[in-house]
Order: sequence, then C-alpha cells, then structure tokens
Amino acid sequence: MPRLTLEGLEKRYGELLVVAQVSLAIADGEFVSLLGPSGCGKTTVLRMVAGLIEPSAGRILVDERDITHEPPHRRRIGLVFQSYALFPHLTVFENVAFGLRRQGIAGRELTQRVEQALAAVRLAGLGTRHPRQLSGGQQQRVAVARSIAPRPSILLFDEPLSNLDAALRDEMQIELKRLQREVGITTLFVTHDQTEALSMSDRVCVLSDGRVQQFGTPEEIYHRPASGFVARFIGRPNRLQGRIESLDGGLATVLLGAPRAGPVARPAPRGGSSKVAEPHVLEGGGLRLRAAAPQGLAAGAAVDVVLRQEDLRFVRDGSGHAARVALRSFVGARVQYVLALPGGLEVVAEAPTNGPDAQHAVGDAVQVGVDPAHVYLSTPVAEPGAAASRRVSP
Amino acid sequence: MSRSNTPAALSLVTPALALLVLVFVAPVLLMLPLSLHEYVAGTGISPRWTLANYTQVFSDEYYREVVARTLQLGFGVTGLCLLLGYPLALTMARSTPRLRFWLTMLVIFPMLLNLVVRSFGWIALLANRGLVNNLLIDSGLIERPIKLMFNLTGVWLGMTHIFLPFMVLMLVPVIQAIPRDVEEAACTLAASRPRVFWSVTLPLSAPGILSGSILVFVLTISALVTPRMLGGPTYKVMATLIYDDFLQTLDWPAGAALSFVLTAMTLAIIAVSSRLLRHWGGQA
Repeated sequence: MPRLTLEGLEKRYGELLVVAQVSLAIADGEFVSLLGPSGCGKTTVLRMVAGLIEPSAGRILVDERDITHEPPHRRRIGLVFQSYALFPHLTVFENVAFGLRRQGIAGRELTQRVEQALAAVRLAGLGTRHPRQLSGGQQQRVAVARSIAPRPSILLFDEPLSNLDAALRDEMQIELKRLQREVGITTLFVTHDQTEALSMSDRVCVLSDGRVQQFGTPEEIYHRPASGFVARFIGRPNRLQGRIESLDGGLATVLLGAPRAGPVARPAPRGGSSKVAEPHVLEGGGLRLRAAAPQGLAAGAAVDVVLRQEDLRFVRDGSGHAARVALRSFVGARVQYVLALPGGLEVVAEAPTNGPDAQHAVGDAVQVGVDPAHVYLSTPVAEPGAAASRRVSP
Repeated sequence: MSRSNTPAALSLVTPALALLVLVFVAPVLLMLPLSLHEYVAGTGISPRWTLANYTQVFSDEYYREVVARTLQLGFGVTGLCLLLGYPLALTMARSTPRLRFWLTMLVIFPMLLNLVVRSFGWIALLANRGLVNNLLIDSGLIERPIKLMFNLTGVWLGMTHIFLPFMVLMLVPVIQAIPRDVEEAACTLAASRPRVFWSVTLPLSAPGILSGSILVFVLTISALVTPRMLGGPTYKVMATLIYDDFLQTLDWPAGAALSFVLTAMTLAIIAVSSRLLRHWGGQA
C-alpha cells in the first residue's frame, strides 16, 4: 500500500497549466525526488501535497485516505522550506517545540522530544539560541528538526540545500540521507540539482512543463532516459542533431549534423562552458555514429542525439573517430576537452585526472568512441522547457 | 558609510541645527527658570524661586484629575486605534498592490483635511441636534438626545478618528515584511489559522504595534485642538490646561511646569517602549 498517492493532480492559473496530470505512488519510507528545471511545476506539486495550494483537479491520498481538501494543519505533513522559515521570535527549542505543542505534548515529554530532534540533527545544546544567532547550515538543521519532531507521516523538502555553499551542501546531502534512513520517513524532495536528486533518492521523478517525464530509480533515469528531455537534462550532455541513415536490428546508423528538417527551434545545448555552446548545432558534418535505436523511429527520420561527456571514451585501437583537442580545461577530479570532429562538429569529452587521458594537449590528435547503448536518440521537439533547462548548471 | 562626521557633512546640517537651537532649545531653556517662579494673582510673576508649580501637579486634586484623564485618554485612544487599525492594516498588507494603493489613499485622505474642519465635522455629527442624535430619535430608538459631546465620549471618538491613520500607516509595512513562509510553516506544524495569527503573525508585528502605539499615544496626550473643541470647558486635559494657563489665566509658571511634566511623561513612555522594541525587534 503506497504511503502517498497523487492521482491526476493538476493546477491551473487561469489559462496557464502549471501542473498537468501528475500521478505518483510513493511507498512507505521511500525517498523520492521531484527533479526539473525552474518553472517545471515541482514546487507547486509539493505545495499541493502540503495543502498550501488547492489543486484544480486530481486527488492526493495518504495511506489511501483522501486529503485533497483537508486544511494543511490537519494533514500531519512536514515541510522544510528553502528559506527555512524559522520563527524568528522564538528560541531554537521553541521552534522545534511548536508542532509538538499543537499536538498537546507538554512537560517532560516535550523536552525529551525536542532534545531528541535536536540531537538527530546534531544541534544538541543550542536550544536557547535564537535563529538569527545561527549559521545558515545550523538554521537548516533547526528547520529539519522542527519538521521531524511531530513525527509527520510524510516529510517534504522544497530545495532545502540551495541556499547553502557547495561544501556544506555536500555534507548536508549525506546527513539528510542518513537521517531519512534512520527515521524511516517517507520523503518527497524537490530540487533542480540532478546530482542531489540522483545521489539521495530511491526514485526520481523528472518533471518538465508540469508533466511527469520519467519516474524511476536514479539508474533508470540516468541509463535509460525515457524521453529526449530526460536525456538532455541528466548528466553532462553534448547535444547534436542527425538523421537516421539505416536501421539494423536494434542498432541505428546516424549521420550527424544532417540538415535541419523544417523550422525547428534549436535552443543552445547544455553542458560545458559557454565557449563551446554554439558549435554543437551545426549543419553538414557527415560523421556516422552507431546508436541503440528507440521504438518508433524510422530510417530517414531527423533525430536529436545526446552524447554524455562522461560516456565519450578515448580509444587507441582505431575503433573511434578521429578528433583534435581544441580546448583543455582542468576541473579537478577530471579534465574536460573540447574535441573538434571532422565536418566542423565539436563535442565535450572528459577523462579522469589520474587516468592516461589527462595529459592531451591542445592540438593533439586523439580518437574518441562511444558505446551505442549510450547514444540517446529522440524525435526533435521544439519544447519550451528546453529554454528553462539552460539555466540549470550541468 | 560612517563618513557623516566629516566637516562637509557637518556644514550641511548646520542651518537645520541652528534653527532647532533658536526656535526649540532656547525657548525650552527660557521656560525652565520660568517654571520655578511663583505667580501671584494681580501682580504677576514674582522673583522668588519655588518648586510649588511642580508639586501642585501631583498634590492638587484638580491637577491629578487632569493628568489621570490625559493618561487615560492616551492609553484609551491608542488601544482603540490599535483595535480598529490592526485588522485594516492586515487587510491592506495582504491585498494586491492595486487594492493596497486605493486603501492607502482612503486612509490618508482624512489627514489632508484641516484638523479644525475635522473636529467641526464631529461636532455636526455628535451635537445634541447633530446627525447621530437626530437619526436615533427619528428612528424611535431614543427619546431624548444622548450627550455625545463636551464629555469624554466625544473626545475619544474624535481623537481615535484623527490618529487612526498614523497607526495604520505604521503597521502596514511591518505586517507586509512578515515572510509568508513562516506562517505557512506554522500551518504545516498543525497550527490552525487563529493559532498562526496569535503565535506568529501578531508577535512578528510587535515592532509595528509598538511604534504605532508610541506615535498615537504621544500625539494624543499632547493634542490641543480636538480635546478643546469636543471636550468643552469641563473636560480639560494637560494640553488644554497649559493653553489656558498661558493665554487665559496668564499663570505662565504653572503652564511651563505642566509642560515639563507632560514632556517628561512623553519621554518616559518613549524610553520604556524603545527598550521593549529593542527586545522584540532584535528577534524579529
């Protein structure tokens, strides 16, 4: 029996459809992320679950009980806000005690439960402070302690880590994940950060333009993107265009850089720095690539091709494509190369810093190959979501 | 930012400072010795020094009554303005910018009219043959006119009306600044709407409540025109008594002493309130 079920959830503001037909079933104790670019409707879904926004259509069920029209204070659903939303006039202790007091808990039990919650987020002993006396990370922990203290049936997170600096964010990711495991609470986590979603979740729901694009485990999302949008959104993609030349069983031969079919909008591809943004969308080219062919694509069809930077491999046995290093940037754990392919195409590839391919210099001739299973083909679409996705860092 | 004490900055404030010293500080300093002299009826201000002008404010039955009435009026009008003003301010703070603009205009509009005109307006309403009494008599609710003027009722009504805008204008920005997230967080922590209001919204508007109250209180206890016009000769407050001392009985020393008592009271209230404000405001 799922803990939380969303059935055809919809939200309209006048003509504008913000959330369309979102249906999800989340099991007890599961950690699910809602992942998508800004404006994809993920926060709206979350706020409808919390009861802060009234859905236009659809149902929300907790343990198969319909709570769609229940006011937020009766739902027993915790919410951690992006802004933390601590009570500035109350001490840390009183912040955490707030929800418990509403449940009629008092005296020794109250103190115990508050201290328990503060200990769980490693803030024991800071109960007498006021929120303004705490650092951003500590405030975040208080917000978490405050939401878990009343033992809600579901815990919601609205981009809780986006106001923290990078190092603290990594630390909090691990800590939140561990806490969620320990408490065993069903969690719905909204984020635009794919690393966050993939690393923390049992399952990830990718949203775009208010619609569910794919709902699956992080591995499924990463390795078997269900749509062109997911393929372009996850990982560090090179975005190319091509045309299917021939189909041979499950494998397609794609001619890259084929002329455009019709006036299709071409947003700049994501991934890499802005220096290498435009050359990906080139006409002409003539490079051939083998790719696993998805259902419903026929020979001659124009396709969007996604090659992840991390899937491109440097080879030496002549099986790859000849390329020349146009740009090299050292990013720490890996080295990023902009590779010039014949026909004026450019792709970004990367190699581990410690590996043999970390030392190619600008101008070097290399060979680059890719497993056909890691070439993602999809029907080209002019999608408004693509414009928004550009704002998201890869 | 702390370059305000450079010579250039000082020279910029000099005219204002000079004016302030000339027309405010100097008269006050002149009044201080005045308040310490004796006034003898018929002969005028005697050269003898005395503290009697101050002691009588606290010992004399009549003065005590006036001081008590002034304070009562101050607290009462402040309370009424808060009670009437808070819901209005809350509505304004939470409405769309367009609606808020028009509501603000409505609140400010009475302030554009002369104080005397507004007080006369209340006389027209509250007099024995005024609009309110006529309406009540015509509708058969009462037989004889209720006394609404030349007593405290009239003063309370008039002053509340006049000072309500100040309260509302102080409250709106403070309520607007309360993050909606914080109220929503309370909602998700099982707090009903009234509970959210009492535990979150109201405490977080405390700085506005306090500064609005100080303003209305200080304006009320020092108001002259409205108490004089609506309170009549019987119901004197400190401000009207000071006026009479100076301009009718010509007992300047008593008027000066009473002025200083009023000033001291005002300063004391402001001091206490700003301590409270620091206490609350620091946390908000």
